[in-house]
Amino acid sequence: MRIWSQIQSWARAMMRRSRMEREMDAELRFHVEAFAEDLMRSGVTREEALRRARIEFGGVERAKEECREARGVSLFDGLKQDLLFAVRTLRKNPGFTAIAVLTLALGIAVNATMFSLVSAFLLRRPPGREPNRVVVISGINPAQSFQSDLNGVSAPNYLAWRGANHVFEETAAADEYRSVSLTAQGAETNGQLTSTGRPEALRASAVSPNYFRVLGVSPQSGRTFAEGEDQAGHEHVTILSHELWERRFGSDVSLIGGTIRLNRENYTVIGVMPANFRLMGFVPQLWTPLVLKAGDQTEAARKDRSLTLYARLKPGVTVEQARAEMVTLGHRAEEGFPAIEKGWGIGVRTLPDFLIQNFGVRTGIAVMMTTVGFVLMIACANVAGLLLARAAGRRKELAIRISLGAGRLRIVRQLLTEGMVIALLGGGVGLLLSYWGINFVRANMNFNDYVAAIPISLDWKVVFFALAISVASAVLCGLIPALNASRTDINTSLKDESRAVSASRSQSRLRTVMVTGEIALALFLLVGSGLLIRGLSAIHHQNMGFRPDHLLTASVTLDNAQYKDATQQAAFVRNVLLRLQQVPTAEVVAVTSDLPATGPGKVTFLMKGQAELPANQRPNSLDLVITPEFFRAAGIPLLRGRVFTERDNASGPRVVLVNQEFVHRHLQNQEPLGKQIRLDVSGANPEWSEIVGVVGNTKSYSESTREEPQVYEAMFQRPIPSFSLMLLASSDPNDLAGAMRNAVAQVDAELPLINMMSMPAVIERQANGDPLFLRLLGSFALLALILAAIGIYGLVAYSVGQRTHEIGIRMALGAGKSDVLGMVLRQGLKMTAIGAVLGVLLALPLPKLFEAIFYDLHIQEPALYIIVPAAMAVVTMLATYIPAQRAIRVDPIVALRYE
Amino acid sequence: MDKKQMELLQGTLDMLILKAVSLGPLHGYGVLLRIQQISKDRLEIQQGSLYPALYRLEHQGWITSEWGESENKRKAKYYRLTAAGKRKLQTEAEKWNRMADVIAGILQSTPEEV
Repeated sequence: MRIWSQIQSWARAMMRRSRMEREMDAELRFHVEAFAEDLMRSGVTREEALRRARIEFGGVERAKEECREARGVSLFDGLKQDLLFAVRTLRKNPGFTAIAVLTLALGIAVNATMFSLVSAFLLRRPPGREPNRVVVISGINPAQSFQSDLNGVSAPNYLAWRGANHVFEETAAADEYRSVSLTAQGAETNGQLTSTGRPEALRASAVSPNYFRVLGVSPQSGRTFAEGEDQAGHEHVTILSHELWERRFGSDVSLIGGTIRLNRENYTVIGVMPANFRLMGFVPQLWTPLVLKAGDQTEAARKDRSLTLYARLKPGVTVEQARAEMVTLGHRAEEGFPAIEKGWGIGVRTLPDFLIQNFGVRTGIAVMMTTVGFVLMIACANVAGLLLARAAGRRKELAIRISLGAGRLRIVRQLLTEGMVIALLGGGVGLLLSYWGINFVRANMNFNDYVAAIPISLDWKVVFFALAISVASAVLCGLIPALNASRTDINTSLKDESRAVSASRSQSRLRTVMVTGEIALALFLLVGSGLLIRGLSAIHHQNMGFRPDHLLTASVTLDNAQYKDATQQAAFVRNVLLRLQQVPTAEVVAVTSDLPATGPGKVTFLMKGQAELPANQRPNSLDLVITPEFFRAAGIPLLRGRVFTERDNASGPRVVLVNQEFVHRHLQNQEPLGKQIRLDVSGANPEWSEIVGVVGNTKSYSESTREEPQVYEAMFQRPIPSFSLMLLASSDPNDLAGAMRNAVAQVDAELPLINMMSMPAVIERQANGDPLFLRLLGSFALLALILAAIGIYGLVAYSVGQRTHEIGIRMALGAGKSDVLGMVLRQGLKMTAIGAVLGVLLALPLPKLFEAIFYDLHIQEPALYIIVPAAMAVVTMLATYIPAQRAIRVDPIVALRYE
Repeated sequence: MDKKQMELLQGTLDMLILKAVSLGPLHGYGVLLRIQQISKDRLEIQQGSLYPALYRLEHQGWITSEWGESENKRKAKYYRLTAAGKRKLQTEAEKWNRMADVIAGILQSTPEEV
């Protein structure tokens, strides 16, 4: 109650300061006049009465000042005073100020830079109306360990759940990852569209007509899909993304209503979405209606879980209620179709939450933020150390101020204000530095289209964050020295300083704690980043089991308009191989379902002679479909048996090749040749195939150090519509892009090539930002090491320097140089040992933690736990040894006079 | 003024002000007059120190003020005791009485008693 009235009166005083001044004037004037009137009654003249009244009252201005102080207004005057004083003191010590500000600036800059990623990826609000009321429904795969709840939903489930639920206003479906080829555009002349430029493969999303309504977004121009446009015969309409409309069509407004040619069919452009309509992780360049046919409702279609479902919650329905309802519907599907749906669950997440999960950047960002957080703590410890050392030098000044009547609180406030000025300056400089930092990150966050589509900028959230951490660091680095200084003992401090043999006990203890803490922090950080860097670079430099150089690759998706069946697909592959062979300097050409180093799909299989296991208990293997020359093109060694030949075609007996790991894991290293297996490939009749050869292992995912069983099928026995071309050349593959494009165009002029790049570029893309992550992590670790080394050196050297006097006494009393040196070094070693033990203990659980949060990262680097502490010990020993050497070389007489 | 006036003991002005306004709302000059009147002019109060004390007491929530009209039809600021002020006055008065007893006891002690 009393505190409240204080605040009120203080606030009143603040808000209506001028009014209060007027009231105070009026009140005092009333007093003097009333007094004067009383005096006049005893017969004095008015002037005389007023004069006497004023004299009796005393100093009006002093009374007013005291009134103001009583009101608490002076708090602000005091702050102003503190600020001016702090600025004056800092300007008197430009060296100290520069070092402190710069140290904090570095710490704050790296934090602000990394926070720009948090702001861009984690704090971004998705477009559309009330995105938190939109949920994404996903499938939970029981057999998957990593991101198991981010799977798609099958069309039959979509149709069933759409009708049966009571929690959603509307449910929309999207097949987000389709590829279409754009071949021509413009006005129809004589039934032909004018072809412009080369065919282009575009990322497309096939969506139900209500998709845009569920998300609550409107087109920039034109319209979105109408009901019924998802019916066969009406589906030739498309909506363009702003990016495509701008880049490919020059922002031509008249295009709306016009026709473009997609997958060899004419589509009417009905709308263009605004530039800000972008769901993180999905970057379709155009949208077409999702057409569900009869075939999409069969039981077989349940295996194709390629839809992402978006639904808007009914008013008043919570996400939890929706989740409960969907779990019920999931059980119903499980009961109805146990063979396919057994164990599958349903995930329900809000749109923002889903996008962040789906994007999978959270752990990386969390590691980065933790790292830079530690860097900032080390920076704060350094500045706190500097302030502490300086406060010790200012003991006399503070003692004088206390003895002149300054309250201890006032002293604390004064020193905190100084810390605040340093921190805010550091924050300002840090923001300036982070401007470049963010530019650097933005320039390098382009390792895939999804990341490149997200704008990273120095926005107000980053500025606010920088301000907040500046204030926090001011308290962190200012409070301990301030409290310590305010405990100054006036009597001892005012006495001649040189009498004091060494720094007071509490001060040296505080320094010891800080040095120990800083060692522990730095050690933890170095071990942590060292582990990650070693783990990731091991992946980066691993032997992938194939030869990537001189390989040019490109992907092709055959549309089903032109290539309706396997025969036509196989014919295309034959023809394109023939054309590619004629490219100058071409040595080996091949076609494969998946390029080495990328992730092929898994297939389950049965082995002849073993029991018929149910589908979800069968062994599995990665599955690739290739043409005979694949192994020669990729430089993968054949270890046993033979590779495919031209005779392994549709009419020959089915054969497969396996890799060594397959033999090891699934055949227990028994003789593989002649064994029969049956692959459960979708869309083909299961047939027994004979293993005719064994090839070397290749790494499937670049982030995995594990080798997986692989099985190779012959392309001419099971043609597929989507594959990659490989061209091994004797010249630089990058020069052959045009030749490859021409070769394909000779077979089919309307077929676009996707992602034409050399094999090293493919690997680089697979690394998915790891190199950037490593580079950033490495530079943060280096920064931490430098800061910690400077900080530790500064603190240790200062405390040894403070003991020059003591060392002088010891030597004057006959202590030998080595005794003194040993004593100082022992103390340094003690601090290092305690700090190192603490740091190592903290860092012990790190490998486990990293393996848990990073998919397939296996870290075994026990050496780091020895190397890093040893390096820290060297730094502290040097920091002790150098000033100690200097101290013992000083003449004892000089040392004794030393202040 | 009378030369027989006593100087106020340090720290007692607040208590006297609280007592004065507890008898009814008063303006600053009125507080001065009332204390002098009750003390029969035996206490000397520094007029300049009266107002900071009033402001402090108001800031602490023991008295509140509002503008009103004085006896001679002029605008004046009137102070009134709050509930918290009433309690404060009570505890202060008790403390003062105990202290006065103790001091008196000490001063009246004779050699035999010690």
